[in-house]
Amino acid sequence: MAGYLKPLLAVLILLGAPWSVAEEAREDPLGSFMWERYRERFLGDTPVRFDSRVGIQAPAFAEDSGQVPIDVDASDFNGRFQRMLLWVELNPIPLVFDYRPLSDGLGRLSINVRLEQSSAVRVAVLSDGVWHVGSTRIEGEGGGCTTPGIAKTEDNWSKDFGRIKARRFGHESGSRVRVKLSHPMDSGLIPSTRPFYVEQVAFVHGDEPVASMTWQASVSENPELALTLKGDAGTAYRFQARDNNGNEFDHVIP
Amino acid sequence: MSSPDGATRSWLVKAVLSVGLALFAGPAPAFDYHLKPVAVAERTWMVQGRREELSEDNGGDIANAAFIATGDGVIVIDTGSTLSYGRALRAAIATVTDQPVRWVINTHHHPDHVFGNQAFEGAEISALPATIAALKRDADSFRTTLYQRLGDAVRGTETALPTRALEAGESRFGDYPLRLFAFSGHSGADLVVLDPATGVLFTGDLVFHHRAPTTPHSPGIGIWREQLRQVRALRFDVLVPGHGPAAKDESPVVETLDYLDWLDRRLTNGAASGATRNEVIQAPLPERFADMALVRYELTRSVSHFYADYEEALLWADPDTTK
Ligand SMILES: [Zn+2]
Repeated sequence: MAGYLKPLLAVLILLGAPWSVAEEAREDPLGSFMWERYRERFLGDTPVRFDSRVGIQAPAFAEDSGQVPIDVDASDFNGRFQRMLLWVELNPIPLVFDYRPLSDGLGRLSINVRLEQSSAVRVAVLSDGVWHVGSTRIEGEGGGCTTPGIAKTEDNWSKDFGRIKARRFGHESGSRVRVKLSHPMDSGLIPSTRPFYVEQVAFVHGDEPVASMTWQASVSENPELALTLKGDAGTAYRFQARDNNGNEFDHVIP
Repeated sequence: MSSPDGATRSWLVKAVLSVGLALFAGPAPAFDYHLKPVAVAERTWMVQGRREELSEDNGGDIANAAFIATGDGVIVIDTGSTLSYGRALRAAIATVTDQPVRWVINTHHHPDHVFGNQAFEGAEISALPATIAALKRDADSFRTTLYQRLGDAVRGTETALPTRALEAGESRFGDYPLRLFAFSGHSGADLVVLDPATGVLFTGDLVFHHRAPTTPHSPGIGIWREQLRQVRALRFDVLVPGHGPAAKDESPVVETLDYLDWLDRRLTNGAASGATRNEVIQAPLPERFADMALVRYELTRSVSHFYADYEEALLWADPDTTK
């Protein structure tokens, strides 16, 4: 490059860099044609940026498409986010949950979801009037031996219906609470079935909900949730849930 | 390169024409597998598959096949993922022996070991009864998966079920005796074949070598480990695993055991400490598995197959315990 161009280039970089970084953060890193549609539907007119501080981890492919584990880590936003949404773009019911951390919920959680086909998965965290978005992609089909016959079909849910198991583990920022609830989470999309799924979930301290979620039927059968909460092992929490048929579930977190 | 003379030119014209015909006028040529039998003992060869997962690039050539030229005909052990592979295997066998293929043995029902059966019309195809039943159950979904993942290479492939049911003990193929062992640790029904005359042990997928073991139909890591200890106690001179290179010692058995021990510990520690599936999958892998293909990939699958059972036993069994 000719020497006299260098200063000019430096000026261009100085001028251009902040602008192009910001611009990049607005462009879908996965280049998915469905991005705009769900941005509009779920995030509305609120400003959006793709943000590496919103971590989302999932296996590269779904070995069992009925139980795909997704971990979200938005701990950087602990104490200063108001909502978190998770959606799977190409699922018939894209939204998985709408999480309100309230007083005790933190930005780290894990949940098993259904995956209809290879798809982008998004998590959006609302903080200070901006949706911060993390993305990943999961391939819908696993290894050569993947067959429907292999995925364990737990058809004994009716026997265990409503049973809740819970554990608590110490975590640097409080407690990691793990909950497993026996529920079919029927979407109603299969002919001759009705939607039958848990739609409200909350952790309660005293009489007050201190973290809450609404769920859709894209959450897996016999849902499993891991959530970090501010309170340490001494903080009393209850897990409460309600399904769309009005069944209520309640369990003390040990 | 010198300029082409008349003869070369006409060869070139023919080549261009035939490529043109293949592309525009006729069916695409069968997938070219370049199979090469390697002698592992007297009258015994193996054809090693790539240490990869099913893909369009490898056409499903990911598992080992082997064969014994008994003098009275050839015994083929496992036939690959596709009709084209089966045909290529048959052609490769013909490059080292004039004997006809009279018997086919399927070590287990997995798609990368049985879907070349169709190429061995006229040969007697045999397997354990539970393998035949499992193949009947899973064949259609296996074929769907193969069609999704192999593209053109799988064209024309149909299920050819074994017709002879084998049992453990001495079994004769013509006059040629083999010792058969019926295990279950890898797929639910796993045949291990010992040729007492040559000392070659064909383990099927009960043993993997330099390639991470797959677990979709395994009844459990504990059962598999127990059976590997039995295999280790057998006397043999050469071991032909289901995937990866042959060996003249028990090292592939030791390696498979070591991997399964590690997998069991990883799942145990994860479940007991409340780790999520992704945390178990993403944690660093041991250095000693650096040469083993597909560890993270198979770990991801195994977590899906087994982790719920480990959690049931270690995480949820005593749900009111506070830690
Ligand atoms: Zn196998």
